[in-house]
Amino acid sequence: MKKRDKLLVKICVGTSCFVQGGADLLLYNDFLNPELLDRFEFEGCSCLEACKAVNDADVESKPPFVMINGKLHGNMNSDKLNKLLSDEI
Amino acid sequence: MNDIFIDVDYSQVYKHGQKIGGDVFLLSRNPDRNQIVAILSDGLGSGVKANVLASLTAHMAHNLSFSPMDLTHSAKIIMDTLPVCKERKISYSTFSIADIRYDNTAEKIIVNFLEYDNPPALFFQGPKNIPWTGETIDLQRKGAFKKELLHRQTFNLEIGDRLLMLSDGVTQSGLGLSMPLGWRIGGVNKFIERTLENNTEISSKSLTKAIVNKALNLDGFTSRDDITCSCIYVRKPRRTLIVTGPPFSKESDVILGEKIKAFNGKKIVSGGTTALIVSRLFDKKLKVDLTCWSSEVPPASNMEGITLVTEGMLTLSKVATHLEAKTPVYDLPNDPVKKFIEIIENSDQVHFIVGTKINEAHQDPNIPVEIGIRRTIIGRLRKALEDNYLKETSQEYL
Repeated sequence: MKKRDKLLVKICVGTSCFVQGGADLLLYNDFLNPELLDRFEFEGCSCLEACKAVNDADVESKPPFVMINGKLHGNMNSDKLNKLLSDEI
Repeated sequence: MNDIFIDVDYSQVYKHGQKIGGDVFLLSRNPDRNQIVAILSDGLGSGVKANVLASLTAHMAHNLSFSPMDLTHSAKIIMDTLPVCKERKISYSTFSIADIRYDNTAEKIIVNFLEYDNPPALFFQGPKNIPWTGETIDLQRKGAFKKELLHRQTFNLEIGDRLLMLSDGVTQSGLGLSMPLGWRIGGVNKFIERTLENNTEISSKSLTKAIVNKALNLDGFTSRDDITCSCIYVRKPRRTLIVTGPPFSKESDVILGEKIKAFNGKKIVSGGTTALIVSRLFDKKLKVDLTCWSSEVPPASNMEGITLVTEGMLTLSKVATHLEAKTPVYDLPNDPVKKFIEIIENSDQVHFIVGTKINEAHQDPNIPVEIGIRRTIIGRLRKALEDNYLKETSQEYL
């Protein structure tokens, strides 16, 4: 069987994301379902440039940001990341 | 900024069991008058009494060096002033004075060197020891209890030259223990030559530390006199460029790129957006290094051509806090702040390029107060570097 390419997960480590929860997301090795860890490739990103357009009314447009397979997700936390990644596969 | 840097530093171990030393090293830089004065003085005996004698000598020599008076005359005044020891009924302390003057471009560095009763200072050109040729002056002071011979020499220092001043604790180390007559000046000389051959660009701090440690080792780790060694080293300055913040206008990005490219030395880019700009300008990939971070400081990144890429305000404010507190590098966790401090501690001149664009994302009230205004943090960094680490700093806005 051909090995499937891993999907890319980019975690923003810019100032604004880092102080608002991004630091916890970097511990992905500890809180993610072990099965998920093998299916994705994790990478840091110095700034996803999403923090410049925060819309106060929309909770989803707030830091910390994570990009999963090219799609931007805001207001991330460990549970949400677990759920989103499970949905992805 | 100057193209020549004069690196002066010293290391010292007190006599075993003493809390205060009888050797005093004094250094003062007077950039307004292009003058540096370094003095090493050894007082009679050890402990508090010796410290009083040596401090008195050193401070007098120091003040007199900044006066227009001739150094030989200064030496006479010092010896006339020293208090008399109650037990030995003599007044005595040794001293070496290196009065360094340079012109504005620092192309010519002249040392006026005067020595009284210290072990002969050592002069090195590269790893090679150059013997002294100076004159010896007999002071013939009234009330002298012994023949007082001053050694005096004026010479030029060039890039790669070193002048080392030692106290007798170094040359007499190991006396009667591992070596019948102690390490002696010849042994010290050989040790320095060997060290310099292995590491031609060793800093004054590391070199003097190596010498003092070796002397302590010869003494069986129980120093029997104060061991002090100082070094004056002339070299090309090590420079670091710190780029932080995006330029005010997009058109200035190119200028920023050119400035980074033209800079000769280590380069630090601090700031996520700034890093993206630089990465785009140089067409180099930015890779975040997820192995190096802590809960307080975001990870650093790697980029070809840039020594260190870090996050912006959190890292900088942490760096400023540690520099202000003079935290030793080995006490820091392995995070970008440590790398940052290591780089600037190892450079002599630090140049800041500060982008003045306002970061919209930092206007959010949820963000902690540590994220201040970029300019304030750079101000703190510069002050700490100049006051605590004696670095030259400069900055420009873009």
